[in-house]
Amino acid sequence: MKLLRADRLAELAAALAARGYRVIAPIRQGRIVRLAEWRPGAAIETAGISANSVKDFLFPRSEIIDRYSLNGGDFVQKEVTPEAIKTVALAVRPCDAGSVSVLDTVFNWDSNDAFYNARREACTVVSLACVRADEHCFCTSVGGSPGSSEGADAVLRAAGGGEQLIFEPLTPKGRALAEAAGGALAEGEAAADPVAEIPLRFDIKAVRDWLAGNFESPLWQEFASACLGCGACAYACPSCHCFDMQDESNRKESVRYRNWDSCGLALFTLHTSGHNPRSTQTARWRQRVMHKLSYIPQRFNLTACMGCGRCSRLCPNGLAISETCEKIARLCKANHEGGTP
Amino acid sequence: MSIVDAIRADAAGLLQTGRAKLVLGYRNRQGRRAPILLADAAGADQLVYDAECRQNLAAYLRKPEVRQQFPVAVVAGPPVMRSLVMLSAESQIPAGAVTVLAVGENEYHGALDLAATAQLLREKYADPAPDEELLRRVREVAAMSEEERAAFWTEQFSKCTRCHACRSACPGCYCQWCISKRNVPQWISTADLSHGTFAWNITRAFHHAGRCTLCGACEAACPQGLPLMLLNACVAECVEKEFGHRTGYDLEEKPLIGSWRPEDDDGFVR
Amino acid sequence: MEKTETIAENARAGFEPRIVAFVCNWCTYAGADLAGTSRLQYAPNVRILKLPCTGRIDPLLVLKAFEGGADAVLVSGCHPGDCHYTSGNYHARRRWSVFGKLLAFAGIDGRRLYFSWVSAAEGQKFADLINSITKEVRSAGPFDPVNPARRRT
Repeated sequence: MKLLRADRLAELAAALAARGYRVIAPIRQGRIVRLAEWRPGAAIETAGISANSVKDFLFPRSEIIDRYSLNGGDFVQKEVTPEAIKTVALAVRPCDAGSVSVLDTVFNWDSNDAFYNARREACTVVSLACVRADEHCFCTSVGGSPGSSEGADAVLRAAGGGEQLIFEPLTPKGRALAEAAGGALAEGEAAADPVAEIPLRFDIKAVRDWLAGNFESPLWQEFASACLGCGACAYACPSCHCFDMQDESNRKESVRYRNWDSCGLALFTLHTSGHNPRSTQTARWRQRVMHKLSYIPQRFNLTACMGCGRCSRLCPNGLAISETCEKIARLCKANHEGGTP
Repeated sequence: MSIVDAIRADAAGLLQTGRAKLVLGYRNRQGRRAPILLADAAGADQLVYDAECRQNLAAYLRKPEVRQQFPVAVVAGPPVMRSLVMLSAESQIPAGAVTVLAVGENEYHGALDLAATAQLLREKYADPAPDEELLRRVREVAAMSEEERAAFWTEQFSKCTRCHACRSACPGCYCQWCISKRNVPQWISTADLSHGTFAWNITRAFHHAGRCTLCGACEAACPQGLPLMLLNACVAECVEKEFGHRTGYDLEEKPLIGSWRPEDDDGFVR
Repeated sequence: MEKTETIAENARAGFEPRIVAFVCNWCTYAGADLAGTSRLQYAPNVRILKLPCTGRIDPLLVLKAFEGGADAVLVSGCHPGDCHYTSGNYHARRRWSVFGKLLAFAGIDGRRLYFSWVSAAEGQKFADLINSITKEVRSAGPFDPVNPARRRT
């Protein structure tokens, strides 16, 4: 099997960069670890989880999808070629790798999104299995696991008490990467270290059943009470995918952007008439939870929440998908057993 | 009785007697503090208070779900108290709608109305200790050359994803039609590119001139770690030096940018 | 010092600053008009935008000018006490005081943002002002490479 020393991950990055890959890896920037373009000298942080996710590089925050110009009376649409830089997302968490499956599905639902697919095809995902988790992680509660290979082209697993990393290619892209890594990967044998133990936080089936029948529940107001309606959770979430189109023009030229949008923002469903079908934060929080744990699963048989815990870590007001689910699950359990929760 | 016990007792009392239909306070959540909106006196034992409570609860007063529950009570330290006074001065709080569970540095001042809160602030918290670390960071940026400053902010703003957590966290941001939402015309680009992020962050800091209490909730809320307090401190320093204005001590205070005096400085005008 | 300035000037040879001026209709615009009718020469680098009053000038207009690539912006109106709408320029003055300092802190300082009071009778002042500002901006150089508010797509 392929091995490398855990403290030589940067050498793997360098080898891949030398073979033309843009290397994205978790890098410390001030007090935050962020997935960013690796440059020689940057230390790759393998503990913890980045504030942003692989989504940033497949479905960027703002992307130009069209350009137009007006020359006299002529309206000209200029070709915008989707960007497809050969990229490796190196040492991302398995929850991030798993989210790629959700994005693949949504961006190829009823049409094939050329921009997403171009970036996707050019990207090789190498996840790093988790030997540690924090109190915000809940991947196991939503069908994931700290050692999952879902969505990954290759997986790195700690071995020898963290001294080594096993590199396991899983797809043709992963094998191509192993080949490109050359001498950065050595042949050898090692046994993978145990992955983190992440206890189940809630019964997802009970939660889904409750969601299916409780759209009008007054409890949604309580779940959403502390939400102030920003986009922090949706933007940090690896599987959130909503977007807005914006044209910016002057008299001669126009640029069409596709920007992230969040169902938590009041503007999201505001009609030109002034009517807003989701006019309260309660309705918006309910939408967020239902979309990820009820509507998408019903439609695609996929859970659109990876349990990465970013929403839980980043929400300034203490909301999280996990907390709402825990409250629902406690409620279901109490109802089932009788008496008050 | 400890400060926390006193807060819990008053909160429960207000809810039981109906003097408040909702108590806005803080709870423990996985080692950190998060806001909690209590409708039931039985929940009062979840309330906590310490230096880790960084959210500005006055921000919740713009939520219709909260306004529909007036009168409410708010657990508030000095910066939050000042925000409440500011909001009242800007006609955002109907008379009698808010009781303040006023917490100081080391003491609890009881359940006060806004007038008593403003008086407490003037008597006991009129000269808050300056945040030396923040001032040091401000001086550091101010000492840079124009090009260095421009490069610094270009880099900082490149991290902004326009999630608007800063806006949501801020009690002063209660505009239903935030300028960043207006699209006829689109004053501020919604893309995360330089022109949009610069305009957004600078405009927001400017709109809080004379209204910001330097509570720090915006910077604490920012998922990308933008040094938003540097902008707010720059504005607050200017506002204090030029106009002798500090926000949130007077229920009758006039809006700073909305008012003027004949003797305002114009030494910078040619 | 002199040598550096000469080198800098040479490097910027051919650079013509683009200056946007937001002016009030009743005073500065009229003053600019007077400069014109009096045949006073002033640098052609300025593009004048007329608004009814400096009180109408939203700081976002200034940001828009920098977004579009202005090397400098001038905001000019009636002297205090002379505002056609009585107090528009007093509101503006307070706004500029804070906004100017905030922009300077953010990397757009006094070499790029100017404020003035120019009355309808001050044609000469207007011409002199434009000439000196143009000279200062020419020596400051193009704002483009560092302009933090610049639109780049």
